[in-house]
Amino acid sequence: MAVEQAAGRALRPAGVYHDRAVTALVLCSVVWALLGMLAGLYVAAELVWPEIDFGREWLSYGRLRTLHTNAVIFGFGVSALMGTAFYSVQRTCHVPLFAPRLAWFCCIGWQLGMLAGGLSLLAGWNAGKEYAELEWPFDIAIAVVWVCFAVVFFGTIAKRRIQPIYVSNWFYGALIIVIAMLHIVNSLAVPVGLSKSYSLFAGAQDAIVQWWYGHNAVGFLLTGGFLGMLYYFLPKHADRPIWSYRLSIVAFWSFTYAYIWAGPHHLHYNAIPEWVQSLGMVMSLVLLAPSWATMVNGVMTVAGAWEKLKTDPALKFIVLSLAFYGLATFEGPMMSIKSVNVVSHFTDWTIGHVHSGALGWNAMITFGTFYFLVPRLMGAPLHSVRLANIHFWLALAGTMLYILAMWGAGVSQGLLWLSLDEIGELSFSFKDIMASMAPYYALRLAAGLIFFAGVLLLAFNLFMTVKGRRTIAVAPPKTTGF
Amino acid sequence: MAGPLRQGNCYHPGKATLTQRLMSMHPFQWFPFRSLLNPTAAFAELSNAHPDPTRMFFRRILWLALAPPAFVFVGSSLFGWRLGAAEPLRLPGDVLTLIGIGYFLALTFGFVSTAVLSRWMASTYGARDQLGVHFALVTIVAMPIVIASVCHLFPHVFINMLALIPALLWSLYLLYKGLPVALGIEPERGMLMASALVGCLLVGAVGLLGLTVALWTNGVGPTIGI
Repeated sequence: MAVEQAAGRALRPAGVYHDRAVTALVLCSVVWALLGMLAGLYVAAELVWPEIDFGREWLSYGRLRTLHTNAVIFGFGVSALMGTAFYSVQRTCHVPLFAPRLAWFCCIGWQLGMLAGGLSLLAGWNAGKEYAELEWPFDIAIAVVWVCFAVVFFGTIAKRRIQPIYVSNWFYGALIIVIAMLHIVNSLAVPVGLSKSYSLFAGAQDAIVQWWYGHNAVGFLLTGGFLGMLYYFLPKHADRPIWSYRLSIVAFWSFTYAYIWAGPHHLHYNAIPEWVQSLGMVMSLVLLAPSWATMVNGVMTVAGAWEKLKTDPALKFIVLSLAFYGLATFEGPMMSIKSVNVVSHFTDWTIGHVHSGALGWNAMITFGTFYFLVPRLMGAPLHSVRLANIHFWLALAGTMLYILAMWGAGVSQGLLWLSLDEIGELSFSFKDIMASMAPYYALRLAAGLIFFAGVLLLAFNLFMTVKGRRTIAVAPPKTTGF
Repeated sequence: MAGPLRQGNCYHPGKATLTQRLMSMHPFQWFPFRSLLNPTAAFAELSNAHPDPTRMFFRRILWLALAPPAFVFVGSSLFGWRLGAAEPLRLPGDVLTLIGIGYFLALTFGFVSTAVLSRWMASTYGARDQLGVHFALVTIVAMPIVIASVCHLFPHVFINMLALIPALLWSLYLLYKGLPVALGIEPERGMLMASALVGCLLVGAVGLLGLTVALWTNGVGPTIGI
């Protein structure tokens, strides 16, 4: 890899990589996956049997659903991103982490913040913004931990012994900077008590800011952050350089430029200017190019590494995650087209789209990365390759079934609640349409159970791999180079 | 291995057995049906065959692509589409014809483009690149879905999903199992190529869904209040 060749900096004594915080973050991520997906299963079951909230507020759909999304995105997803960022930035810079105690603060602070935040959601504290439901005390705590994350990450890059900054670090860096910007701006609010605040923005402006945050949280966290994971761990899995490094850089800058404009497609046919909606749609369509550039880069990288599949179950997850990444990044722009969105919006098609990305792309690539990473952190083989292979098929079956169930439900909903009778009145009531969705929701619950069974296997497999072992010490190479 | 499939365009009736001749003459008794009963043998046969793409297209693919639109036309004419609401959605005959033609064209395009895409990928994965082989592979893999499309005769969305999901899973199994055999590559390379094709097919499926919805909102299909 020419771009990662030594730049002639003077070598300093380097010590060993600080990987114990990485192990802790990976294990916390697995715990959050179990908790978050269990909450998801429960709300899926509540849509089939609404009475299973037993009249308790904390078991109601509204509270458990926010717990589900927060636990999987910020608990499972961010813990995985933080852990893999700490792991990869050391190895791509050939230096241990800058401020390792601060890295531990990030790890512990994030877990405590998410735990308390999750409990606050169950207690009914809610800021009323999707994916930003946590109230202002937690917003401040998140901002503090996030800035510390930035200090550790960019501090490590600043003291690197390799001049070029590898592309995974560009994506992780964009994740850190953009999420900080989005979170701080969208969380600006006037507190009226410990558990309640009101947004500084009002009306349509509030909606625009919220979806500027909401869409770019998807963009820079669930897409950009995980692309950072892909660009580091895929070449490592495949034991070969990325197919086109130049393409990865082009993809990064075009992705960063295009994504930030796409948020208004969440507000089609709403009380925001028409041109803002159209701009959001056009930029969403433009986004397809950088998204697929990365997919092609990934597919071509792995194409030459097929022999690895004989021994490495983790690589299968990454191969499949690329397929679902391709699907989700095509489906998103397509659903942003106004003539499609008018039917698909406010239906379960959107839920299916989100889960094709969340289960097929985010979870799959994380599982693949964990199966690769944990044995290396422990210096021991994976407890069971067979279980990992079974997990792969469960994950694939669960994801496919989930998507198909939501496609069926979503298209039916879209058509039914736009149907008019002979005198131009709506043909069906919202309540009747939702009641008719029960079979699809049962199918979705079955899909979730299948997927969750796979996650249980992952947790057991990783727990047995880690059990009785400590994170091994690894020293940076004495010579520079990737 | 001798047989009509292997000889492709150079088929000589005099050299084939009576059974082989009958199978070659009737598209619906041909080897894709074996994908349901004995897929291993179907793929093994294909691995030694050199089917002619033109013949494959006109004698197999066009017929297979015709079945689902025919079923959906009959079913929705007789019963209307049941989406879960009390009353089925009934569409006028000319709209149903238009939808049927559109469905047929989309399926034909899907068959051909998948085969062409598969052939395009072949060089990357070191697989056989004769177009006829890829046409045959796609027809075998699609066979469970085509057969399951008989459920379109009763167009209830959820029942159709219940019938089509197992068929889809069976097709996926056939793709992963059969592709490396038919195209003469290692199973691991086959897994990669099959996954790449699955990605493309998922995109094609959701693209079809989006196209359908866009047609509805532009006046083709059911009347909706927008």
